[in-house]
Amino acid sequence: MKQIPDKDILLFKSCLVSVEYPGIESSTKFVFDKLGIDYEISPQQTCCTGLGHYSDIFDQFTTTTLGARNFRIAQSIDRPNLVMMCATCYAINKKVANILNNKDEVRERVNDVFKESDLDYLVYEKDSTRSSENIFHVVDILYNKRDEIAKHVKYDLSDFRIATHHGCHYCKVHYDDTIGGFRNPQILDELIEFCGCSTIGFYDHKRTTCGSGFRQRYSNKDLSLKVTEDKLMALKEDKVDILVHLCPNCHVQFDRYQNLISENTGEDFDIIHLNIAQFMAIVFGADFNSVVGTQAHTVPIESKIDNLKEVD
Amino acid sequence: MAVIGGGIAGMNAALSLAKQGTKVTLIEQSPSIGGHMAKIGKVFSPVKIAEECGMCLLNPILNEVVWNDNIEVMTNTQVIEAERRAGTYNLILEQSPRYVNPDKCIACGKCAEVCEVEVPNDWNDNLSNRKAIYRPFGQSYPEAYTIDMENCDKCANCVKVCPMHAIKLKGKSEKLPLSVGSLILATGHQLFDPNKRPEYGYERYDDVITQSELGRITGVNGPTKGKLVKKNGKVPKRVVMIQCVGSRDEKPDGHKYCSKVCCMVALKNANIIKHKYPDTDIVICYTDVRTPGMYEKYYKHSQASGVRFIRGRPGEVVRKGENYIVRVEDTLKKEFSEIEADMVVLSTAMEPSEGTKKIADILNVGVTEDNFIKESHPKIKPVTTDLQGTFVCGTAQDPKDITESIMQATAAASKVAEYNYAGVEIEPFIAEIDDEKCELCGNCIKRCKFKSMSINENRVEIDPMSCTGCGKCLTACRQAAITVNGNIDEKIMATINGVLDKKGENERMILVFLDNIGYTAADNIGVNRLSYPESIHIIKVHSVNRVRPRHIRYALENGADGVFIGEFPGDLMYEEVERKIERVKKRILESNQNPERLAFSKVYIPYFSGLAKKLTDFDEKIKELNELEA
Repeated sequence: MKQIPDKDILLFKSCLVSVEYPGIESSTKFVFDKLGIDYEISPQQTCCTGLGHYSDIFDQFTTTTLGARNFRIAQSIDRPNLVMMCATCYAINKKVANILNNKDEVRERVNDVFKESDLDYLVYEKDSTRSSENIFHVVDILYNKRDEIAKHVKYDLSDFRIATHHGCHYCKVHYDDTIGGFRNPQILDELIEFCGCSTIGFYDHKRTTCGSGFRQRYSNKDLSLKVTEDKLMALKEDKVDILVHLCPNCHVQFDRYQNLISENTGEDFDIIHLNIAQFMAIVFGADFNSVVGTQAHTVPIESKIDNLKEVD
Repeated sequence: MAVIGGGIAGMNAALSLAKQGTKVTLIEQSPSIGGHMAKIGKVFSPVKIAEECGMCLLNPILNEVVWNDNIEVMTNTQVIEAERRAGTYNLILEQSPRYVNPDKCIACGKCAEVCEVEVPNDWNDNLSNRKAIYRPFGQSYPEAYTIDMENCDKCANCVKVCPMHAIKLKGKSEKLPLSVGSLILATGHQLFDPNKRPEYGYERYDDVITQSELGRITGVNGPTKGKLVKKNGKVPKRVVMIQCVGSRDEKPDGHKYCSKVCCMVALKNANIIKHKYPDTDIVICYTDVRTPGMYEKYYKHSQASGVRFIRGRPGEVVRKGENYIVRVEDTLKKEFSEIEADMVVLSTAMEPSEGTKKIADILNVGVTEDNFIKESHPKIKPVTTDLQGTFVCGTAQDPKDITESIMQATAAASKVAEYNYAGVEIEPFIAEIDDEKCELCGNCIKRCKFKSMSINENRVEIDPMSCTGCGKCLTACRQAAITVNGNIDEKIMATINGVLDKKGENERMILVFLDNIGYTAADNIGVNRLSYPESIHIIKVHSVNRVRPRHIRYALENGADGVFIGEFPGDLMYEEVERKIERVKKRILESNQNPERLAFSKVYIPYFSGLAKKLTDFDEKIKELNELEA
């Protein structure tokens, strides 16, 4: 397996996390602190452009230039390892690093932009940020510390029926860096098992996208919601209580649209949606409001988890 | 000679040579010869639109192998070491014990009756059980039982009941030396692991099976005696076959190549089902149906029998109630569909067997990017490998069917026969090592593209059969311990001097070094009444790799206005020479000469007009350079 760091980390802020579910960030910090991960957040860091990029608002060159800037910011505070909470940031930044390191012409054009704007300190040096060695997802970091998870487990969620939804842009863009398989992804299932719970494993549509498809959610809404509905139906059939995510975009698609799909189809869905960091934070005993941020959820977390049982 | 692998390819290669009078050792790692074909059930040929009994075709070949006095069959045996010396292979074989003496055993089967250990029968793709003492299949050879010691509990019931006293529970594997003149590799294939495609649910669902398992189920000597049934004992109502499982797959754990036989296998099994169970609906989901030549007729025959075809690669197989749903996009109709089925059959790709990968490693024989044994030229030198005297046939080389395997086996046998009856022509210009200077550093061995060097008893040995005198080893030797017979270096230098001596005042002189192919092309320029400039002086060399940087520098320093080197790109050394030229150009620049005065070009025999033009252009360029620098 690839080398995964536990220090010198810049925890990369995500637009969707900050705006939609800030509890994912506070939960990640809570869990990282418990597991002894050395990280920092930088207020200078910008958006990766992902949502805009996939909606044809930002072209690849702009995305690459902004990525180069963010990489330099990480290096300038001696935190060369970038860790993403969002699968979109993950895939976008990996691609940007590959472009900057392998396409001399593009790198030079990016650096010209910096120089022309009197931002010489941002000039990107070839190979200073590498896709496989420096860019990770939070799940990679958690997986690396898997043996230390058990000792922090305070609450027992093993009575719930738990399923996992692995973001496409974690599994299916940079295959060689994906931990736990991409045909039948397992990393979330394994992390949940280290928390003393088990998942339902494979279920119909486990591998399907959440349906959001970035702009598809807006420009092709019927198809987008149909994909989500298929998955929700399969989860309902398997009597799933909790769907665990690793990407805030998928999280939005399920949590925000579940009630609408209920209305449209007449099917009742009562599945709650948690990011893996939130799930782990709950298991580790974090406060629902100040850390897990349950107040930002559309499907109330308390509708399922109202009475926590301590582990024996 | 030795044939490694006792499947249909290996048996045919062995037979062909044995019939020509060659002594053959047929080495097979499993307890019986026969290979995949023994378990295939029915086979078909495209000309006869009918399926026939595979064992009935295989068994006579198997018997012929067994009865041929020139063939020694060694089962339970693997090659564990190999070295090659002057055209001879010294192999070390390891034979594991059978625990049942095949000379005494009468295959009465009493031992298996009393054996209490039951394990999955791999010959039946684990669809049935066998005992720890067993005979692989009814027609296996040697016609004797064997004990699977990994599973035996050593109760000795079998020893007590054996009327022939043929069983001994103790035994050690034996190492045996074998010297042979040539080798045929027929180590075959294995099938892609269907668990690498979890979306198809092979592990999760009982009635998602492979074509190989379907072959066992429909085989009269299989676990159900030929009755097509699901795990619950009922005949399936609809069978969906999924093609290209693991082949034509761009994702990291798939194979990019087409596995070539799977279309035919699916059609065959579909037809077999249709004949016996006309009410069972069969749908084949395919990427493209590849049925070249006469196989196309069999495809049409299958369509006429009512087999249905959908062009699309299914995304997943899921259980819905009692049945399965196969989700697929019909890419012709551009429609998404869900096919209900109660049996799903996966057409898994052929990939090189573990044995193939292992023997390639032991012999240091070249492999393709997919780990099949590589032919030394895929177009014009089939069945030869990059190791002199080693040939390949069957699915060790790439995916293929039985007929093609036999054709290749016969071709490989013929190549060995060339050695046996015609001898081998070797060039006298081969490398020689001065043992006193040699430090055994091994650099030359690493550089030799023809794998002709090895260290033996503290000296580097050069196999005269495979050394081509290319001279690459000379540059690798720090001790200058290697010479190439025939004083090629001196000869080239003398030729350069000879040509330059004749140079008149203000005469432009360009030296052109050409290999055999280039020289023939230059001949063709004349024969076809084309011309090239008078300044061109052609020197024929055995390999352009023998033209060393100092030759080129010497020529330029001593009056040559330009040096032109031409080589056929099919030559093994081509890339090496191309790289060398770049290095030489740098050095020419360092010694204050113009690197533009050196040219390197590809040459082809039919493209002699191209060579003439290149020589003319180069002369023109040198002329300009001369004027510029004057």
